[in-house]
Amino acid sequence: MTVRLVLLLIAALPAVLPAQARPNFSGTWKHASSVPANYPGSNGWGIPSPTIVITQSASELAIESGQFGKQPMKVVFRLDGKDNIWEAPSASQSGNTAIVKWRTKASWDGSRLVLYTWNTALNQMRDIMSLSGNTLTIVRATEQPGPSTNATLTYTKAP
Amino acid sequence: MRRTFVLPASVAVLLALLAVPASLQERSASSSKGGVGDIVGPYEVPDPKWPAWAHPYPKPGYIWGSQGGVFAESPNRIYLANRGELKLPDTVPPNFPGNWGFFNQQAATVPIANMVNCIVIVDGEGRLIEAWNQWDHLFEWGRGPHQIYISPYDPERHVWVVDDMRHVIFKFTHDGKRLVQTIGILDEFGDNDDLTRLRRPTMIDWLPDGTFFVADGYGNTRVVKYDKDGKPLLKWGTRGTGPGQFNTPHGIAVGGSPPRVFVSDRGNRRIQVFDVNGRFLDEWPGIAPHSMMMSADEHVWAVDSITDRIVKFDLTGNVEFSFGQFGTRPGYTWAMHQISADQAGNLFIAEVFGGRTQKYRPKPGANPAHLVRGRSLMPMAGSTGN
Repeated sequence: MTVRLVLLLIAALPAVLPAQARPNFSGTWKHASSVPANYPGSNGWGIPSPTIVITQSASELAIESGQFGKQPMKVVFRLDGKDNIWEAPSASQSGNTAIVKWRTKASWDGSRLVLYTWNTALNQMRDIMSLSGNTLTIVRATEQPGPSTNATLTYTKAP
Repeated sequence: MRRTFVLPASVAVLLALLAVPASLQERSASSSKGGVGDIVGPYEVPDPKWPAWAHPYPKPGYIWGSQGGVFAESPNRIYLANRGELKLPDTVPPNFPGNWGFFNQQAATVPIANMVNCIVIVDGEGRLIEAWNQWDHLFEWGRGPHQIYISPYDPERHVWVVDDMRHVIFKFTHDGKRLVQTIGILDEFGDNDDLTRLRRPTMIDWLPDGTFFVADGYGNTRVVKYDKDGKPLLKWGTRGTGPGQFNTPHGIAVGGSPPRVFVSDRGNRRIQVFDVNGRFLDEWPGIAPHSMMMSADEHVWAVDSITDRIVKFDLTGNVEFSFGQFGTRPGYTWAMHQISADQAGNLFIAEVFGGRTQKYRPKPGANPAHLVRGRSLMPMAGSTGN
């Protein structure tokens, strides 16, 4: 009986461990790092917002931030691995607005959450998010016409 | 001492006198005016009222956008890689010739394009033969095909399409009915040491045994070498300015004996030369090519992103000839992105910013050494044609 119980526990471990290792990123986060001099590239895509608000549930993660660092925007990622697609007016850095199609996708890599964002205005972003205490680290890679960019962004949790 | 100086000088003067009439003759035959230098070199534009050649096929109110690539399989089978269609302004001037560059406002890559008619095949008169609309969906989340090729050493003549913004290279059957292989992972980009994923690949070229090299590219600033089946073998290059480092390796050409890999290090404004295992051999400064092409006579033809000139190099980096000029009128170019030449000597140039592909044919009596000579393709399996 004891052996059977131990075997049952061992068999259940893989299912339990990842769930335990997956952090909850919810909270209000303040940008606390500098960015490389050549960041974020030619058209302003990927500028870190001074504040981001993350809401995470079992099924999705939503990030409210400022597009191009300023204009408010909410981006939702499904946590079941499937695409989330929507259309929204999008403003360029020059202030022009157009209807743009957006797509997001999320996947877990251990305790890290890998977030992809694409839109039809030729912007792409990969954020790899990890949590350590009250520090959120985002390793951000962006793509837009022209050179790619990379930056490691650090956020601290607002009280 | 004086005697040895005078003799070469007199020979040089004589050669110059002989050369001038030929040069003048080439320029006078050109339909282009203005600018400086030799606009169309040894070529002429068959129909100056472009776009009679390769007329676009969009619905009313739209026009072809950025032209990423062109590949001439034969004089009557030319593949065009189109980065989608752009909506025209509500009113256009009566003299609008049909190419986006005419507006002279912004490059054809800037407006958001509808990804339709991304790969089409036309004959030598620009008439549509095939439209691979079944694959338009592949380009929807990117910016359309970056460049298009057939390996000169492939008897099945697969068609390869590089998509930088979706981080992959597609390999299609010759008839376009099947996608047989995807190099990289669609929409996922990796880091410099990741051989499974690419990050903004730009161009590809082959060795005779099918080994191929990918310039990868905007993001990973490296070259990846693959075996003939698409298995990654090795990579070289990191971001930087030193020997073997890159800033946007955008073009690649393979050739010579022993074979060498010529890489356009566009952001560093140079061409770098490597052996087939990535050992740095040489650099040629002063040019920032969008694209390069190994010609049948084993020269590197590079299209400079800064001057809009087409430059012919020998394999040691000596410039043998150049022509071209920025502009939007027939014969001029705005950001040449891929060049290709057919077996009849016609040259095709795809322009990403000008939003058109132009056909140039050799002028009568043109110096053969000044013509871009495309590499011969292997006879297609089961046929005798080229």
